[in-house]
Amino acid sequence: MAFFEQHAHPVPKTFLGKYIFSFDHKVIAKQFLWSGLFFLGVGGIMALLIRWTLAYPGQSFPILGSILFPHTNGIVPPDTYAMLFTQHGTIMIFYAITPLLIGAFGNLCIPLMIGCRDMAFPLLNMLSYWFFFISGALLLSALFTPLGAAAGGWTSYPTLALTFGSPGVGQTLWYMAIFTIGISSILGAVNYITTIITLRAPGMGYFDMPLTIWGIWMTAILNAIFVPVLGAGCLLVIFDRVFGTSFFLAGAAATSGSGDPILYQHVFWIFGHPEVYILILPAWGIVSDLLSFFSRKPAFAAKATALSMVSISVLSILVYGHHMFTTQMSPLLTQSFMTLTMTISIPSAIFFGNWLGTIWKGSIRFDTPMLYSLGVVFVFGLGGLTGLYLGTTTTDFYLHDTYFVVGHFHYTMAASVLLGGFAGIYYWMPKMFGTMMSEFWGKIHFWLTMLGINGVFMGMLFIGYGGMHRRIYNPFYYEELRRLIPMNEFVTISALLLGGSQFIFLFNFLWSVWNGKKAVANPWKVGTLEWTIPSPAPSYNFKDIPVVKCGPHELGNPNLKDGKDFQYQTEELVTS
Amino acid sequence: MSGIFGIFKFIVSSMGVIATSLMLSVANAKDGTDYKSTNYWDITVPPEDISVNGHLIDWLFNYTTYMNLFFFILVCAGLFGFAFIYHHKKNKKPLYTYGNKPVHIWTVTIIGVAVFIGIDATISAISNNDLRNVFLNWPKEEEKPLKVQVMAQQWVWKFRYAGKDEVFNTQDDVVTVNDLRVPINRKLLFQVTSKDVIHSFFLPNARRKVDAMPGRISRIWMELNKAGKWPIACAEMCGTHHYMMGAKLTTYTPEDFESWLGQAQRVAMEVNDPEDLNLYWGWKWEVR
Ligand SMILES: [Cu+2]
Ligand SMILES: [Cu+2]
Repeated sequence: MAFFEQHAHPVPKTFLGKYIFSFDHKVIAKQFLWSGLFFLGVGGIMALLIRWTLAYPGQSFPILGSILFPHTNGIVPPDTYAMLFTQHGTIMIFYAITPLLIGAFGNLCIPLMIGCRDMAFPLLNMLSYWFFFISGALLLSALFTPLGAAAGGWTSYPTLALTFGSPGVGQTLWYMAIFTIGISSILGAVNYITTIITLRAPGMGYFDMPLTIWGIWMTAILNAIFVPVLGAGCLLVIFDRVFGTSFFLAGAAATSGSGDPILYQHVFWIFGHPEVYILILPAWGIVSDLLSFFSRKPAFAAKATALSMVSISVLSILVYGHHMFTTQMSPLLTQSFMTLTMTISIPSAIFFGNWLGTIWKGSIRFDTPMLYSLGVVFVFGLGGLTGLYLGTTTTDFYLHDTYFVVGHFHYTMAASVLLGGFAGIYYWMPKMFGTMMSEFWGKIHFWLTMLGINGVFMGMLFIGYGGMHRRIYNPFYYEELRRLIPMNEFVTISALLLGGSQFIFLFNFLWSVWNGKKAVANPWKVGTLEWTIPSPAPSYNFKDIPVVKCGPHELGNPNLKDGKDFQYQTEELVTS
Repeated sequence: MSGIFGIFKFIVSSMGVIATSLMLSVANAKDGTDYKSTNYWDITVPPEDISVNGHLIDWLFNYTTYMNLFFFILVCAGLFGFAFIYHHKKNKKPLYTYGNKPVHIWTVTIIGVAVFIGIDATISAISNNDLRNVFLNWPKEEEKPLKVQVMAQQWVWKFRYAGKDEVFNTQDDVVTVNDLRVPINRKLLFQVTSKDVIHSFFLPNARRKVDAMPGRISRIWMELNKAGKWPIACAEMCGTHHYMMGAKLTTYTPEDFESWLGQAQRVAMEVNDPEDLNLYWGWKWEVR
C-alpha cells in the first residue's frame, strides 16, 4: 500500500463515535460548521446591541433589551457596552470565522479535493475541535463571573487588561480562552500542512490543487507560525495578572519595576496582521475556484493567483507596524512599515486582474455560490482600497481608531470572509449533507445581505471620516459628533436588515439539512475530485484512491465531445 | 434572471450617486459649509481644519480617494460589465484559455504596476515627505514653541504649562484639567504620557493624534490658525468611561493667550500649595 493510501477505517456504530468523538474529517468539519454558525449568531446579536446603542443612546433595545438588562429598563449600560464590543470582536474572529472558514472548509475540502481518505492525523483533528470547544466554553463562562467578561477591546491591550484596569477574572479567562483556541488552531494547522504535502492523490502536483486548497494551505502555514506568538503573549499577560510579574505593566501602578505595554502591541500585531490573511486566504481560494467553475472556463492565470497568495503571505509578516503608527515608533520603522504595507497592493491587484480575467468571455451562470463570489470581489475591492488610507502614516494620524478603521476591517474581514463562507456553504452543501439549498431563497438572502453589509460598512467609513472615534458608548456626548446621528441611524437600520436577512439563510440551511432536495453526485458539473464521489460523501471518501491526470479548472475545452463542457481531474486532458 | 440585472443596475447607479456626492462634499469642504444640517451626505465632510498643516493630510486623503474611485470603478466596470455581457444565455461558448498568453500576462502586470505607481508609490512618497518635512520636523528652540505637558488618566486630561520660571514640575506651573488653551499662529509642542492605561490624544480638527502611554513620553507638535473652541477626545479604549474622556481646546489670538496665561500664572502662584505632592505629576521637559 502506497503511503498516500490510508485505511478506510470502519464506520463507527455508536452515536458518540459517529457524531461526538469522530475521527472523520467530514464530521469534524460539520462540528466546526455548527459551532461557527452558533457563535456567528451570538456575535451578531451583540453587534445589533452595539449598533442600537450607537444610534439610539438611552433607548431600550426592542424585545431582548428588557430580558437582558432588566435593571436599566432594557438600556445597555456603559460597562456592558464595552464587554459587548470586546466579545463581539473576539467571537466573530476566533469563534465564528475561524471555525467556519478554516475549521469547516479546511477539514471538508482538503481530503476531498486532494483525493485522500482522511487527514494525516485524525486524532489531532478531533483534538483540534475539542480544544476549540473548551476554549468556547471558557470564553462564554466569563460572562457569568461577578465582574463580567473581558471588556478591554478584542485586542485586550495592557495595561488596561492588567488587574488594575480590569480586575475581573473574566479578563484572565479571555486570555486563557485565546491561548486554548491557539492550541486548536496549531493542531489544525500542522495537520492541514502535513496532509496537503503528503496525501495528495498520485499525479496531483501542487499546481493541480484547486485554489481553495492553496488558500487553506497558506492559512495553515501562517497559523502554525504566528498563533504561537499570540499564545506566548497571552501567557505573559496571564503571568502579569495572576503571578504579579510586570512584563507589560508601567505607569503609576508599576511600583516594583516597570515593563512596557507597547511590547504587547508588537507581539499582538505580529500575529494580528497575518491573522487578517489567515481569515481571508481560504475565502480568496474559494472565490478564485468558484468564479472559474461558474464561468465555465479555466481560472485565469491560476498559477499567478497561487503565487500571489504565497507572496501576500510572506509580505503579511513584514507590515504589522501599520497598526502602531500612533505609538510613535522610530521614524525609520514608521517609514519602512508604510512602504512595505504598500507593496501588498501588487499581489492584491493581481488577484483582481485574475478574477476579472476569469469571468471575461465566460459563460457565466448566476447560481447562488457564484453570486456570493462576485459579491466578494465587490466588497473586497472596497476593503482593500480603504486600507490604503490606513497604511499611509499621515492619513492614519487622523483616521486611526476612528470608525473608518472599523468600516475598513469589517469590509475585509467580515464582509469578504462572510460572503466567501456563504459561497462555500451553498456550494458544498450537496457534498456535506447530500441536499441542495433553495436557490430562490439563496438569491434573496444574497441581495439583502449585500444591501445590509454595504449599508453598514460604507456608513461606518463615512462616520469615521466625519471624526467619530471607536469604542465609545455614547458618541453624542461630544457635541461635534451630533451631526452624525442620522448616519448612525442609517448604519443601525442597515445592520438590522443585515441581521434580519440571516434568518432567511438559517431557515434555508436548516430546512435543506433535513428536508432539502436530494443532490446528485455532481450538481454543479465541476471536475474536481470531490464531485467524482456520491453526495453526501461516503465515510471513506474514495473507494479507490483517484489518479489525477489534469488540472482542477478544465472547463469549456472545445475538444470535449457529447455536449460535455468539463472533465474530471481523473481524466486525461482531451487535446483533440 | 433579468430581475438580478435590474438590481445590478441599481447598485451601479447608486455607486454613481455615492461617488458624486463624495466629490461634491470634498468640494464643499473647501468653503466650510455648516455641519448642523441633517443631510446624510454632509457627513462626508470632516471636522473643520484649524491647523496649518492639516491640509496636507486632507489633500492626501482626497488624492487617495480619487485614485481609489478610479480603480474601483474599473473593477466594477469589469465585474458588472462582464456579468452582463457574458451571461450564459448570451455567451454560450466560453473562451478556453488559461490566461497565460503574453497579452494576458502583460495586461495583468500593467494593472498591478498602474495600481502600485498610481496609488501606493505616490501616496507613500508624499506621506514620507510630509513626515520628514513637517510632522516629524520638530520645532526648534529659537522658534519659541509653546510647551505643554499632557497627562492622561482614567478619564481626564491634565495639562501643565511651565509658568514664569519656564521650568516644568515646579510650584508656579499652571495646571488645568480637561481645558487646554493655546495661541494660534505659534508652534505648539506637547509631551504626552499616561498615568494608568493607554489613551490617545486626539484633536480631530487638527487631524492628529498620538498615543498617551504609561512609562513613555510621546511627542506631537502642531500649529493652529483659527481661534475658537474645539473638542479633544481620547481615541484609545481606556475603560468604561472612555467615551466621556473629552476635553475642551480653546484657541486664542496670541494677545488673548498672553493675557489668559498671565492671569493663570497669578492664580497659580496663589492657589498652588508647594507642600502638596499631587501637584508634581509633571516631569522635567525632555530635550531630544
Ligand atoms: Cu495589518
Ligand atoms: Cu482614555
